[in-house]
Amino acid sequence: MSAKHQEDAWAFLERVGSYVAGELEREDAREIERLILENPDYRRLADSYSRMLVMLSTLGGETVEAPSEIVGYAVRRAYVSAFLGQVQQLAHGLVGDYLGALAFYLGLRPVRLR
Amino acid sequence: MDPSVCHLGNSEGVHHQVSTKDRTIEDRRLVARASEGDVEAFAKLVRAHSSLVYRVSLRMLGNEYAQDASQEVWVRVWRNLKGFRSESAFSTWLYRITLNTCLSTRRREARRQKREYSVEEISYLPEPSGGDSDPEAAVLSTERREEMVAALRHVRAEHRVALVLRHMEGLSYAEIAEVLQVPEGTAKGWVSRGRAALLMALAQERGQESMGEGDAS
Repeated sequence: MSAKHQEDAWAFLERVGSYVAGELEREDAREIERLILENPDYRRLADSYSRMLVMLSTLGGETVEAPSEIVGYAVRRAYVSAFLGQVQQLAHGLVGDYLGALAFYLGLRPVRLR
Repeated sequence: MDPSVCHLGNSEGVHHQVSTKDRTIEDRRLVARASEGDVEAFAKLVRAHSSLVYRVSLRMLGNEYAQDASQEVWVRVWRNLKGFRSESAFSTWLYRITLNTCLSTRRREARRQKREYSVEEISYLPEPSGGDSDPEAAVLSTERREEMVAALRHVRAEHRVALVLRHMEGLSYAEIAEVLQVPEGTAKGWVSRGRAALLMALAQERGQESMGEGDAS
């Protein structure tokens, strides 16, 4: 099958899909309707699309509950991350204070003249 | 379904729940607190939206990877909360992070197995077996569910994302465009190509199945 032929086949396939999904403009929809009525293969194609869309929306409509492990894991990770963040902040503060005190003790802090 | 959970989605969509103003306000309040390091606020966000993240991961990746991907999503959310801009809804931002995480998981998976279908191989979906012509009843079987998940894996990533958002999550094209940060026309094109690719993949899956059955007998 040539690239052009392949492209045309895809374009047609997509148009039928858009027709079944109710997304075609009136003129385009009429054209596809006509083809579907004339050709049993196209009718089967439209039926296949229709079944597939029902399957998708039925699956989409099913309730899915996330396993509780996911919530537990996410919250645990957040607690650990928040704790480590606080430890880091505290360490920064302590080290800063300690170095400041040491500098003062060693007389390294520049004297500000008034 | 938890009524407190906010869902995007248009009136034609699968999830008809309209995002409530209250939910959005509550989300913004929780995000503001969580971004300052309030883990309790973050836990509330996780509980309210964990179904959305898991559901999308499940549809994008299947059972095998959905849980790991969902956990990774929440780690990313926690890390990036400060970067959340409240111009869009939290759920839009969450969809984006979830889909990006799924796509990176899928890229890893795709390196392991690559198979694509050509339009030359087009065939039609046979009627459900056992004379059952009611498609809704047919879809309830585990076999059909697995078939759909398997076929979805053969649809190109961006087309699959758009297809899931449109036909399973029930989002409008404007919402899909916002989540994927692409023009609306691109979103429409991806959905359209995704539908066609999925139909082909399903036909192939079933063709291979019936061939396998023939071989076995």
